[in-house]
Amino acid sequence: MSLTRYGYRNAISGFFEFPTDNARRILPAGLEPVELHHGTSIFSMTVFDFTESEVGAYGEAVMSVIVVPLVKPGERLPKSAFYPYLVATTTRAAREHAIERWHLPHWMEDVEIAFEPQGNRLTAKVAADGAPVAEMAVGDYSWNPVSHLYQSFMRDGDKSYLASITMEGEQSEHEEETGRVRLHEHAFNKDLAVSEVYDVPFREIWMRNGAQTFQPLVQLETA
Amino acid sequence: MEAAHKKEERKSVFSDYDYSNFYYGAGDDPVNLLGPFREWYQEAKPNGYYLYSEPLSSAPATHVQVRNGKTGAVHDLLNLASYNYLGISYREEVKQAAIEAVNKYGLGASGSPILSGTFDIHEELAREVASFKAKDAAILFPTGYSANVGFISSIMRSGVFFRHNNPLDLERKLGGVRGKKLVVVEGVYSMDGDVCVLPEIVDVAKRHGARVLIDEAHSTFLFGANGRGVAEHFGLDQEVDFHLGTFSKSLGGQGGFVCGGRDLIDYVNAFGRSRFFSCNLAPPLVAGLRAGLAIVEGEPELRAKLWSNVAYMRRRFAEEGIDIGKSTSQVMPVLVNNDAKVFAVAEKIQDRGLYLQPVTYPAVPKHKSRLRISVSAAHTEEDLEQAVRVIASVLREEGICR
Repeated sequence: MSLTRYGYRNAISGFFEFPTDNARRILPAGLEPVELHHGTSIFSMTVFDFTESEVGAYGEAVMSVIVVPLVKPGERLPKSAFYPYLVATTTRAAREHAIERWHLPHWMEDVEIAFEPQGNRLTAKVAADGAPVAEMAVGDYSWNPVSHLYQSFMRDGDKSYLASITMEGEQSEHEEETGRVRLHEHAFNKDLAVSEVYDVPFREIWMRNGAQTFQPLVQLETA
Repeated sequence: MEAAHKKEERKSVFSDYDYSNFYYGAGDDPVNLLGPFREWYQEAKPNGYYLYSEPLSSAPATHVQVRNGKTGAVHDLLNLASYNYLGISYREEVKQAAIEAVNKYGLGASGSPILSGTFDIHEELAREVASFKAKDAAILFPTGYSANVGFISSIMRSGVFFRHNNPLDLERKLGGVRGKKLVVVEGVYSMDGDVCVLPEIVDVAKRHGARVLIDEAHSTFLFGANGRGVAEHFGLDQEVDFHLGTFSKSLGGQGGFVCGGRDLIDYVNAFGRSRFFSCNLAPPLVAGLRAGLAIVEGEPELRAKLWSNVAYMRRRFAEEGIDIGKSTSQVMPVLVNNDAKVFAVAEKIQDRGLYLQPVTYPAVPKHKSRLRISVSAAHTEEDLEQAVRVIASVLREEGICR
């Protein structure tokens, strides 16, 4: 079984509190949001600066809900699991590739993604249809080489899928609450009650100079 | 691809995970997480997690006998870990009261407090606590935790959280809440040792029509002119609607309580499930708590000694360049701010004669790891000086302070 590898320069993630009611509106049946505390779930935004892949270099923004991972005896325990409810890419080739291979739901136009470093912070700006969609900034802390397993759940029509993803590279992870997100009122964010997403991430992850590796997709039984 | 595949097979190291990774898991069997947890814990324990739950074989006094979780050897250590803020748990009057109660009542209450488990001394302790807190009535719970769970679930049905000690966030959150509103705060926060900004919190709560509950687990019997707690300290005893506390900290026993109006206590008696589905507090414990409460009321100099000790430690830590964050209480976090190093630091400190525990994520945010210190009135200045010197020397060796 072949693996699919995406090399990246930067990948930044912010984890934000948002209402569980909103998470449940987004999630398909069978997936449970992880709650930080009663009534509060986790919205995650990740922005990639891919430098190499089967479809070349491109930028990608992934909007997700953090969900309960699927744990199987004898298998490596994932760090966490997520349900990407909207993915946006800067190229059509990247979009078609991800839809065909990973069944990921996409914003069907190219978006603009800009990374702006400033000291020990990195800001990613995403725009669609010429209008800003989201700006997210994260700060660094200390850097360590890691190899972490994540799970991504996808739903396409009446079929459900699971992708096991290994993230390797240098990682900075912290809960200093130094980052920020600004989500604009835009069709891109229609699934979110934007005003109810807390704008300071309780956790910021910044990975650089690494690779994201997908194991072959697994189709799950659909309840 | 082959190289990437081999990397994928890399075995996880214990530092890739922490307790939070083993809480949620879907699958075919509810025990699927046991195997991954066991595998992680077998590696995590010798790497520092053994420092938790090391058994004591003496009273939680200023010096304790502790069995090392790694070597099995028993050591005499200076105790900076126990909640025994006033040194009451091992006072002769307290022990004697408990012994007499054992002779009179036996060991346990043998019943729920709403059925056969309420004894005369339970009622007396509840009356005495209410009197001490200057409230109409009090109700006892088996623990402070169950007092919170039982009380809040008896009057509220769901909730949202606001950010730590942050009135601005409270203002924002309350603005979006419809229906019943209850703002829950602690008098002293147990991980940072900072004191609740109660005046600002009460102001915001009242403007939004919210009730205020204060859990004075770490502040009852210590703060305020009469020791009633942080609410008394700020002169807000009447503005705060519900008062919770515990007997496990300053009284050195166990149990929790809620104080308030008679109607409130009667209602909680009917609907506080964590209470009435538990056996009532053991009578010897209740007798010891009554004796402890009498000591608190009769010896205000104990509080004065505690605050003198706190001032001494704050001054000495500042002189040594040791960061204790925002603490202004007897709970002092010695900030290490390094999740990987905190266990080694704690191990070294224990090897040099101090008993204290590391605290790491998820009990505190990532990279906010610390050694938590509980200062007691029972500590002597020599005890505290020894503690400061050991901590400072280890932190310097590890490059954590100057």
